[in-house]
Amino acid sequence: MMRLRGILCFLLSLFACAAMPAMAHKASDSYLALQVKGQEVTGQWDIALRDIDFAIGLDANGDGEITWGEVKARHADIAAWALGRLNLERGGECALQVAEHRVDDHTDGAYAVLRLAGTCPSRTQALALNYRLLFDIDQLHRGLLRLELDGVSHASVLGPASGVLNVKAGETSRLAQFGQYLVEGTWHIWIGFDHILFLLALLLPAVLVHESRRWTGVGSFRVALVEVLWVVTAFTVAHSITLSIAALQIVELPSRLVESAIAASVVLAAANNLWPVVERRRWLVAFGFGLIHGFGFASVLTELGLPRDALVLSLVGFNLGVEIGQLAIVACFLPVAYLLRNTPLYRKGIFVGGSILTLLVALVWLAERVFDLKLISA
Amino acid sequence: MKESHRINPLFSQVSAVFRPVVAVLACIGAFLSPFPLLAAPRLPTDPAEVLERLPMRPGDATARELAGLRAVVTRAAKEAPADPLPATQLAGRYYGLAIARGDPRYIGYADAVMAPFAQSRNPAVLAVRGQLRQYRHDFDGALGDFAGALEADPQFASAHAWRGAIYLVQANYAAARKECDALQALGRPTLYGGCIGLVRAYGGQMEAGSAALQRALDETRDAGNRLWLLTRLGEVAAWRGQPDKAEKHYRAALALGIDDGYLLAAWSDFLLDQQRPAEVVKWLAGWEASDGLLLRLALAETALRQPAAKAHVQALADRFAAAKVRGDTTHRAEEARYLLHLAGDATTALAVAAANYQVQREPRDARVLLEAAIATKDAAAAQPVRDWLQASGFEGAHWRQLGSASAQVRPGVPAPQPGIPKASP
Repeated sequence: MMRLRGILCFLLSLFACAAMPAMAHKASDSYLALQVKGQEVTGQWDIALRDIDFAIGLDANGDGEITWGEVKARHADIAAWALGRLNLERGGECALQVAEHRVDDHTDGAYAVLRLAGTCPSRTQALALNYRLLFDIDQLHRGLLRLELDGVSHASVLGPASGVLNVKAGETSRLAQFGQYLVEGTWHIWIGFDHILFLLALLLPAVLVHESRRWTGVGSFRVALVEVLWVVTAFTVAHSITLSIAALQIVELPSRLVESAIAASVVLAAANNLWPVVERRRWLVAFGFGLIHGFGFASVLTELGLPRDALVLSLVGFNLGVEIGQLAIVACFLPVAYLLRNTPLYRKGIFVGGSILTLLVALVWLAERVFDLKLISA
Repeated sequence: MKESHRINPLFSQVSAVFRPVVAVLACIGAFLSPFPLLAAPRLPTDPAEVLERLPMRPGDATARELAGLRAVVTRAAKEAPADPLPATQLAGRYYGLAIARGDPRYIGYADAVMAPFAQSRNPAVLAVRGQLRQYRHDFDGALGDFAGALEADPQFASAHAWRGAIYLVQANYAAARKECDALQALGRPTLYGGCIGLVRAYGGQMEAGSAALQRALDETRDAGNRLWLLTRLGEVAAWRGQPDKAEKHYRAALALGIDDGYLLAAWSDFLLDQQRPAEVVKWLAGWEASDGLLLRLALAETALRQPAAKAHVQALADRFAAAKVRGDTTHRAEEARYLLHLAGDATTALAVAAANYQVQREPRDARVLLEAAIATKDAAAAQPVRDWLQASGFEGAHWRQLGSASAQVRPGVPAPQPGIPKASP
């Protein structure tokens, strides 16, 4: 650390100051990340311990060191002090609170991390933010804001002359919003292993035919393609129906029931490959269970929050996204499966082996979800 | 993945069988995850864990002095809210701390203390505000404040000295000379000597400048003044190609035993130019908190291929990135040197050096712009420096070499190597 210069004679040494003005540690910054989705507010606010100490005093024993114990003892004061200097309005004042306290290290020292949570009166109106942290005692302080309002990102540097920010909701184009839900939909099918496994279980036999108790490869690519199209389309139509009615809150099912049923659908689809019951009209299976999967997608959409003003658009976007995700899987799977369809690798290894694996994984899921256990869920 | 707890042993065995499957799935999931794994905020467990060390203890002399000044300001705000002098005194003290410790937070504190007196025309208020403004590189605003202070108090020598210093940074030597003359007229020979010595040294009369600085040094017994004059004498000697003389001045300044960031920076630059990086590492131990000195330390460690260089170069990258986020542009001269000599990004270095040269035009600012222009083979970018060399007649031999080299670079042709200067920071 730099030690204090013994004699401060400014009449001459000021020249040096002008020549080398900012040999700096760092001026004070706080890092404020806020996500506002409808009425829900979540966020994280990192404030330097040194700044908090300067404002309200943390070094209880006066030894020049701030310990975790000293910080912990002042958590309530820190929360009150910080939240008293941040206002968020959406159709009225949003009630904010500090849900958790943590610490983190930035380039210039240790920071208190305040995890924020709250609710606003309105889910659609413009958002007003008023930031006043530390300005009364440090005019070089800046709040570095990253705000996500209904999925749209804004970044801003908040200073004494720019601490008030108004962000209009829905200012982004409808297209951008549509695109965002499209991406979310695609994303969800990609990370939703249960949906992928279900689809694959239905697709595995699409390049095969079951005749006289044994499987052989289909004659032409067209046959396989038509089968796949039927399955995928039926699945899509079904889950679109239930996704819509669930998202519009016409029908609501308990999520444990839905999740269990989804696991059961994967079990049954895989079992059907090993001990065929339904052979010709697999699209009916796809449709029936698609209805269940639609409720599963809806729970994701509920978490995302659907903008009231663009409800249908977002719903269509999400659905289309799910579709694109599925088609990507099909596009990867089908040509490979078709080429390999007459090999033992496919018929024994991939088809039988894959179905057994899928069956077992889905059984574990089913057990987990029915009995509310945590075994392997990612 | 959440921790499993209270698992039925049977399921536990079942799940063990599927561990490879899970691993594959988890692996895919991790690959697809849009959020890279970030260092997460943590929850310490030990109440005695030290999270942060404060710059001072409440019982330290400086801390007590500041607390006393703050108490006076608080009382004055109630009893005599129109009196700006307590606030001015506290702000001046904060400013001194910002310079001595290289810590800009004190500038923010001083700004906040002065905020209620934004409309004041009191010369002391204006002088402090001018200092704060020049710190943030608002040179025109600062010149205005010091001019206002002089209007109210024509005898205000330090206001003239400040204006002279700012004009020197702006390479406006005619205006700087007028401020020096005013200091002479006020009968302040030491201030005048420092002022005119630099105007001459920057403006093509190094020998006369050196003599003026030496006369000023002979005039004063004040350690702070001597430190500053010796430092500048060392710089001028180095520019003149007199390394032995330069070292003598620097060592005399260091022998005063006063910590001074500017002196250490100039001395380190001298040692780096003299190919003596090992001494830089020795002198700058413990000064990593200052960006300017960390830069010199990292340059020396890199030259020595020391393992510590990597962490220090990364620390510089982090600090410049953090400054950029908040829109702070006061570090551009150092950032350009970092980009050019440590990050290997000559193109960005040139842009940063050129932007810096719009604001600050001292020899060190000119040098990094010349070096970046040569490295990127962009002759036109260095034109402002060649104009300055032409107009000022600045005699630094290495600058003159770099200036002509920068005029000859052509894209696609290997850059001329002006070589290591025999002397000059």
